[in-house]
Amino acid sequence: MIARLRTIAIASAVFAAFSVGVPPAEAQTPKRGGTLIVALENEPQALAPHLTTDTPTFTTVSNVYNTLVLLDEKLGIIPDLAKSWTVSPDGLVYTFEIVENAKWHDGKPLTSDDVEYSFNELISKNHPRAGTWWNNVASAKATGKYTFVFTLKAPYVPFLSVLASPLASGAFIMPKHVYEGKDPKTNAANQAPIGSGPFKFVRWQRGSHVELVRNDQYWKEGKPYLDRLVLQIMPDAAARFLAFERGEVDFLHWYIVPYDQVAKLRKDKRFQLLSRGDAAGTNGLMLMNHRHSVLKNVKVRQALAHAINRETINQRALFGEAKVARSHVSSNVAWAFTDEYDYKLDPALANKLLDEAGFPRGADGKRFPLRLFWAAGRDYEGRGAEIIKDNLRDLGIDVTVQVFDRASFTDRVFRQWEFDLAMQLFTTGPDPTFAVTARYHTKQILKVPFVNGMGYSNPEVDAIFDTEFKEADVAKRAAMWRDIQKILMHDLPALPLFELPAIHAASAKFKDVVTGPQGYIESRESAYEIK
Amino acid sequence: MPTKSLLIYVGGRLLQAVPIMFVIILINFALIHAAPGDPVDILIGGADATPEYIEGLRREFGLDQPLWQQFVTYISKIVQFDLGYSLRYREPVLSLILGRMPATLLLMGTALFFSSLIGILLGVFAARRPYSVGDYTATFVSLAGYSMPVFWLGQIMLVIFALHLAWFPTQGMYSLRAPSQGFGRILDVAHHLVLPAITYSFYHLALIYRLTRIKMQEVLALDFITTARAKGVAEGRVVYRHALRNAILPVVTVIGLNFGFMLAGSVLTETVFAWPGMGRLLYEAVGARDYPVLMGLFTVLSVMVICANVITDVVYALVDPRVVYR
Repeated sequence: MIARLRTIAIASAVFAAFSVGVPPAEAQTPKRGGTLIVALENEPQALAPHLTTDTPTFTTVSNVYNTLVLLDEKLGIIPDLAKSWTVSPDGLVYTFEIVENAKWHDGKPLTSDDVEYSFNELISKNHPRAGTWWNNVASAKATGKYTFVFTLKAPYVPFLSVLASPLASGAFIMPKHVYEGKDPKTNAANQAPIGSGPFKFVRWQRGSHVELVRNDQYWKEGKPYLDRLVLQIMPDAAARFLAFERGEVDFLHWYIVPYDQVAKLRKDKRFQLLSRGDAAGTNGLMLMNHRHSVLKNVKVRQALAHAINRETINQRALFGEAKVARSHVSSNVAWAFTDEYDYKLDPALANKLLDEAGFPRGADGKRFPLRLFWAAGRDYEGRGAEIIKDNLRDLGIDVTVQVFDRASFTDRVFRQWEFDLAMQLFTTGPDPTFAVTARYHTKQILKVPFVNGMGYSNPEVDAIFDTEFKEADVAKRAAMWRDIQKILMHDLPALPLFELPAIHAASAKFKDVVTGPQGYIESRESAYEIK
Repeated sequence: MPTKSLLIYVGGRLLQAVPIMFVIILINFALIHAAPGDPVDILIGGADATPEYIEGLRREFGLDQPLWQQFVTYISKIVQFDLGYSLRYREPVLSLILGRMPATLLLMGTALFFSSLIGILLGVFAARRPYSVGDYTATFVSLAGYSMPVFWLGQIMLVIFALHLAWFPTQGMYSLRAPSQGFGRILDVAHHLVLPAITYSFYHLALIYRLTRIKMQEVLALDFITTARAKGVAEGRVVYRHALRNAILPVVTVIGLNFGFMLAGSVLTETVFAWPGMGRLLYEAVGARDYPVLMGLFTVLSVMVICANVITDVVYALVDPRVVYR
C-alpha cells in the first residue's frame, strides 16, 4: 500500500466565506432571525441518536448534536467537530484534532473525553448498526484534551464515511457528564438533549412538534442564522402537502415530497426544489426469493429482468422524476457505479430464456404463477408492482400483487422468507461496503430485517466483499466493485428498478436549507430567511 | 331520586367491571400478539442490525419470555396501575397516554357536544314538519355526512376551507411560527379545532339527528301530546317539555356510547389534521407493533366505555323520573 499521510486543514464555514470568492448571484449576507418549520412524517422515537435508526429522530437531533466529520456534495469527507485528521500509512490509526471552542448547551466545554465516551459507552454498546462496523475498531481513545485516536484491527477504507453518516452509525458526539453513571436507555436527556450543535432544545410537545432555538454560543462563528427551528409532526401525506402549499410548513425532505407534485412545484415561484448530492443512493428493487422452485433458476430471473419495463415504471409510477436503476450500486456513488451489466428490455429474449429454463407455456398460454408483495406507504411501489404484473402477464406469468402494512411485510419477507417477489428500497451509499455488502453476502442470510432475505449465495462475490474494503487505492477498489456488480447483475438476487432522486422541497423564502448530500438529516445551521 | 341508592348502584356496576376488564385484557393481549409483525423490526428500522443486538432488545423488553408469562407479568403490573414501558418511545405508557389525552378530550368533547346539540335540534325541527323541504334537506345533508369516510371528508374540508378560502389552518393544534400566550393561545387552539371538530361531527350528527327525528315523530303522535295540546299548553312547551323528554332516552344511550368510543373515532381525524391526541398514538402504535402502548390504549378505551355506560345510566335517571336504581 502506498504510504499516505493526509491532513485536512481547517475549513470552518466562516473561513471559507471570507477566503473563497462567493459567486455574485449568491452574494447575499445571511440575515439573522426567522423561524423555519420542518415537517416530520412521524413522531421521533426518542431524541437519542445512540438508540435508533429512526429518520425523524435524526432530522431533529442533527441540529442539536455534532459529528466528527460530515460528507460534502461529492461524498468527500469534510470537518465538523474534527478540524483535521490524519490516517497512518498502514491505514490502521486515525488521529482527530477536535475544535477547542465547542461547548455543550449547559456551558461545559466539549473535549475528547466526550468523544471517547460517546464511542465506547454509547454508540458501540447501543446503536442498532454498531455491529456492522464497530468490530473493525481495536480501540478508541482520547490521547490529549483535544486529540482523539481510533485504532483499527485491519484496514477499513470506508471508516470515515461511516463516521460521517450518522444515520448509518449513530456517530453523534454526546455529553459524557450528562450520560455517565446512568442507564443510557432511560436517561432523561434522551427526551431533552443537551448538545453542542447550532440549536438548543426547548420542548417536545408530544404528537405535535419539537421546538429548538438558536444557540448564541455556537462554536461555528456567526451560525446559525435562524432564531427558531420547529419540527412539526404531520403524519398524513396529503394533508402535509396541503400545509406546505399553504405555507404553514417550510420544508419537506426528499422522501415526503410526493413525486406527482414535483412538476407542479418546479413551476411555482413560491417554492424551490433542492438537491445537493445524495449520500443514501436509494434504489428501489424487486427482491427475488432464491428458495422458490422457479426463481432459483438464474435464467428465470434474467428473463424477468428482460421483460420488466423499468422506464415505464419510472414514467408512470414515479412521474419521470426518478432514474432507471442499472446496477445494485446507485449512480450517485459515482466512483463505484457501472451500468455495463444492465439488461435490455427484450420480451422475445425473455420468452426464449423461460423456454430454455424448462418452463414452456401451457395450453392456456401460462407458465407459472408468482406472488409480488409490497408494503403500504410508498404509493409508487404499488404502481410499480402493477406495471410488473402487466409486463409479466405478457410473458405467461400470472402475478398476484399483495399489499401488507409495513410490519407484516417485513415479518413475511425478512423473517419468514415467505415471499416470491417483493418491492423494497435499499440504500447503496455513501459507501457501498456498509450499504450493499450487507444485503448480498452469504453470511447475511439471517432472519433479520433488510439483509439477505432472498437467500442469495455466491462464494465468488463473497470473496470480493471480504477484501475490497481493505483496498486504499480508489481505482483498484472501483475495479473490485465493478466485478461485484458484474456478478450481482448476472445472478440477480434482486432486480434494480429505479434510483430515487433526493429532491427536497422548501419555501422560496429561505436559503441554504439543504447544503449537503444528507439533506433530510442535516443540521439547518446554514439556513436563513430572505426578505 | 335517592342519592344513596344511586351510589350503591354505581359502585356495584364498577365492581362488575373488574372481571369484564380482565377478560377484555386477555382478549386484547391474545389479538395483539396474534397479529403478524415484530416490534423489534420496527425499532431497528432500516438498519441491518446483528442477530445479537436483536436478541438483546428481545431480552430487554421481555419479548423472549413465553407468551403466558408475558401475560402474567402484564396483569400483575396492571393491578398496580403500571401500564408498562413503550418499546418505541422508551417511556412509561401511562405518561404517554395521559400526555395525549387532553387533546383527544378537547377535540372529541367539542365535536360530540355540538353534534349532539345540533342533531337533537335538527331532529326536533324535522319531526315537527315531516316530509317538508327542511326535513328532506336535513336528512340529505346528515346522510351525506354520515356516508363520507372521515379521511376523505377531512381532505375535502382542508382543500376548501384551509387551502382555497384560507379560513383555517391545516395541521396541528397551535400556530408554531408565532406562538401566542394566554387568551391568544386559547383562540389559536380554537381556530385549529374548528375543521377537525366539524369533520368528526358530521358522522355523529347524522346518528343523533336520525334517531331524534324518528323518536320525536313517534312521541308526537301519542295521546298525551294531543291531550296537552287540547289543554292549551304552548306548542314550544309541548315539544320540548312533554315530547322531547320522552323521546330522548335512546338518544342519550347513543351519545353515551359515542363518548365511550371516541378514541376509535379519533384515529382518522387526528391523523388527517395532525392533531396530537390518543388516536394518533394508537395509529403509530399499530404501525410499530408497540405492544405495551396498544394494550394500554385498549385498556383505557375499555375503561372509557364502561364509565360511559355507567354515566349514561345515571343521566337516564336524571332525565327520566321513572328510572329508579335499586
